[in-house]
Amino acid sequence: MLLRRIYQFLIIYLLGLFLLLVIKYALNLSDYVIPGPVEIWETCRETLPRYFSDVMDTLSVAIIGQFISIVLAISIGVIGRQATWFGSFVKVAAYNFQAYPIVAIAPIVFILLGDGFISRLLIAAMICYFPLLLSVVGIMSEPISDIEHFYRITGRMRWQLEVKIRAFENLSKLTTVIAGSATLAMAGTIVAEFIAANAGIGYSIRIALYQSNLSKILVALFTIGVSLSVYQGMLEMAGYMINKRWKG
Amino acid sequence: MLFECRNISFRYPDAEDYVFRDLMLKVTEPGLYGIFGPSGVGKTSFAKIVTGGIRDFSGDIRTEHLNIFLYSYNLERLPGWSSVRRHIDKITPLSKNGLKTELIEAFGIHGYLTSRFSKLSLGQQNRVNLIRYLLQDFDLLIMDESLANVDELTKEEIILKIKETFPMACFFYISHNVVEVSRFCKQIYVFRDAHKQPQIQIVKGLDFSRGQQVEKKDQEIAMLEIMNAS
Repeated sequence: MLLRRIYQFLIIYLLGLFLLLVIKYALNLSDYVIPGPVEIWETCRETLPRYFSDVMDTLSVAIIGQFISIVLAISIGVIGRQATWFGSFVKVAAYNFQAYPIVAIAPIVFILLGDGFISRLLIAAMICYFPLLLSVVGIMSEPISDIEHFYRITGRMRWQLEVKIRAFENLSKLTTVIAGSATLAMAGTIVAEFIAANAGIGYSIRIALYQSNLSKILVALFTIGVSLSVYQGMLEMAGYMINKRWKG
Repeated sequence: MLFECRNISFRYPDAEDYVFRDLMLKVTEPGLYGIFGPSGVGKTSFAKIVTGGIRDFSGDIRTEHLNIFLYSYNLERLPGWSSVRRHIDKITPLSKNGLKTELIEAFGIHGYLTSRFSKLSLGQQNRVNLIRYLLQDFDLLIMDESLANVDELTKEEIILKIKETFPMACFFYISHNVVEVSRFCKQIYVFRDAHKQPQIQIVKGLDFSRGQQVEKKDQEIAMLEIMNAS
């Protein structure tokens, strides 16, 4: 699972790189626009350790942001599953909020909270949160009638049991959504760093952009891709193990 | 009178045709009552009306001495996170532990209590599901094809056990099997289309119990009456 994720990324990355070089040589573009393989390799050797450390910084913010989003989405999803006015209100609010591009709010966050850790965390969590919430609300609002019937008709149904039944029946869906949301959390953190932060791989990409240095950007993309693949692979493995253990 | 339905009329929202129109049904004593009829005639809708799953009907349901109504149906599932035994233990009141052991033996599910529900065959699943209901407090239990996919011998053993163990309870047994309803039920309510009046025809069943002899001819007559009534 983990290895598959990594080699899938490597195939896509190498294909992209190959395409760039084809364009470079086909259109006879200068090294300033698209650097040659030697320059890319040299940049990689020079910057990889630093970028790796930057990407770890970004990934740690993304993981904390994702964790906060998961906790929030599950809590609100559990409340929003109810057929009460409050449940409906939560659902409608979630649908309306997610329609708004959260990235557009990012500058306000930086103005109010500065360009430190909290701003990056908040934006990562916000970008990751709404798609997660919609999935959790969708899963939690769908009754599993053939299991729940007995508990309802005998008066044994409690909200904890209802949530447990629905989570269990949709476990694969939930773990896939959570693994997928890692990309969103990472994207949110990078966007935040790219806009205004003073650390992380997004910040490094911003500097590389100002220097018009495509090699550095390509190395940054490589480190992002590899670390995200490892993280997602680990999440998928955790999901698989939970599935196996709980479902027997 | 234990249970009476008077002038029950019902149609599903947005449907043109009635499922029931002025439906009448009366049960005067405990026992096993069959509900028989072709698919789509409203047997399950009736079960849901009786147990409160459908509320937007007109007419009256009157009961005396019947307070707790349960409805079990074919293809219900148990949660899959633990074994059948753990689930049954969890939903069994302490006072019914003896009954639990007795039913597990009679229903022939002892051998697979440690399995997860999803690993069982359909017949085994239905037996496990029915036991859950029988271990609850109830006055009337509707069994909607609850013994589907169970072999005939085991089914007979189960029905006889239920009749012996719960002589004071009322059971509505919904089935498409004319042999079993005619043989085991006290009366069979044959449901017909809403445009036929009366919508329910009542046929006397053989109410077979252990040790009793059933004449082949009597069984054939009961079966013919059921078929003619439908």
